[in-house]
Amino acid sequence: MIRRFRCAYFVPGLVVCLVTLMGCSRTSSRLSSAELNGQDLFDLHCALCHEGMNPDLRKQPPRLEGLFQSKTLPSGAPATDDQVRKTVIEGLGTMPAFDQRLHRDDVDHLVKYLHTLK
Amino acid sequence: MKLKLGKREVAAMVSILVCSLMVTGCRTKSKRYNLRGQVLEKNVSANEITVKHDDIPDFMSAMTMPYKVKDAGKVQELEPGDIIAAQVVTSKDGNDYWLEDVRITDRSGRKAARAVVPSHRLQVGEHVPNLPLVNQDGATFHLDDFKGKSVLVTFVYTRCPMPTFCPRLSSQFAAIHDNLVKTPDDCRRTHLLTISFDPKYDTPPVLRRYGLAYLNNDPSGFSHWDFASTTPGDLRKLADAFGLEYFEEDNQIAHTMNIALIAPDGTVARYWANEWTAAELEAALRQEAAKVGTAGRKDVR
Repeated sequence: MIRRFRCAYFVPGLVVCLVTLMGCSRTSSRLSSAELNGQDLFDLHCALCHEGMNPDLRKQPPRLEGLFQSKTLPSGAPATDDQVRKTVIEGLGTMPAFDQRLHRDDVDHLVKYLHTLK
Repeated sequence: MKLKLGKREVAAMVSILVCSLMVTGCRTKSKRYNLRGQVLEKNVSANEITVKHDDIPDFMSAMTMPYKVKDAGKVQELEPGDIIAAQVVTSKDGNDYWLEDVRITDRSGRKAARAVVPSHRLQVGEHVPNLPLVNQDGATFHLDDFKGKSVLVTFVYTRCPMPTFCPRLSSQFAAIHDNLVKTPDDCRRTHLLTISFDPKYDTPPVLRRYGLAYLNNDPSGFSHWDFASTTPGDLRKLADAFGLEYFEEDNQIAHTMNIALIAPDGTVARYWANEWTAAELEAALRQEAAKVGTAGRKDVR
């Protein structure tokens, strides 16, 4: 009886939790530790421009979902890890450089996370 | 009680922290946090106060920063020195925050606040310092070289990642530039000047690349809009003169947003801080330029 009672609450509770988690813009349950770090860095440094609405900006930065599913980046350069690393470190156009602000490992983790954005 | 006025936008950078906190979570809920602090400054027209506040658990540590106030007419009622309790409310998308339910808990600090000496920022009508600057082409020039023109000056650093800070400033200046070049008379009588407060990184080549991105890759635009840096010592003098506050923190530069309009006679004509539009800046720039007709100036290059 007790077990049945617990089940009756546990299952709907689990469903509610799952639905709540799915409501978040991105889930992180299947990300590696490197990708999770990349996600944190993305949220901190990239999301404000690439996911926000900034009508005052000269050019609206592109969204980055599916970045590596195309052969080329929004800039037209090849969609490779090295090219994305270069863009992050040196900046491009109105995108600021992250030179001396992100460690090499952090840039690698960021690139790994960008691969997970479908 | 010692208060530091003129620090209003110092803590504007703190929004870096705020925005970071906003975007790290699931962005679907507005949140509320209790705030206790002291009002340092108020801006009735902008409906904004600057508060030196205690730790806000789960939100941010103790610091000084500006806040919009939602409660109608509340800013008028507040005075520098007031101790307040309020709620910081964040928007659902995490891109905005403001104060609600502002209550004054102690008014005894008002008298001391009134006795504070104002900041040493140049007052409107005072001459700007004639300090040397180096532009994106490596050419040295002085602010006095612009006499005869009205000049819009602002401060940025090229690695600023906050879309509502330096990228916004440069984007708005770009919009003004685009409009002014369509009217050659006004273009000749005006100039835009962006000064970096990161001179170590923002060398002339870096500034040139940055400037070109905002000039549609047209280098001829530099004849109307200079991107400059200076020595750390002179930068500090310029910052003090224009009320700019900046300091390095966590590999970023925390800074205020300052725009000044320099009249053709080399005096400060007007300031803007957080509230402005490109149209407003452009109109003020044209209006100031129109006062002196077509007086020339030395070329900076």
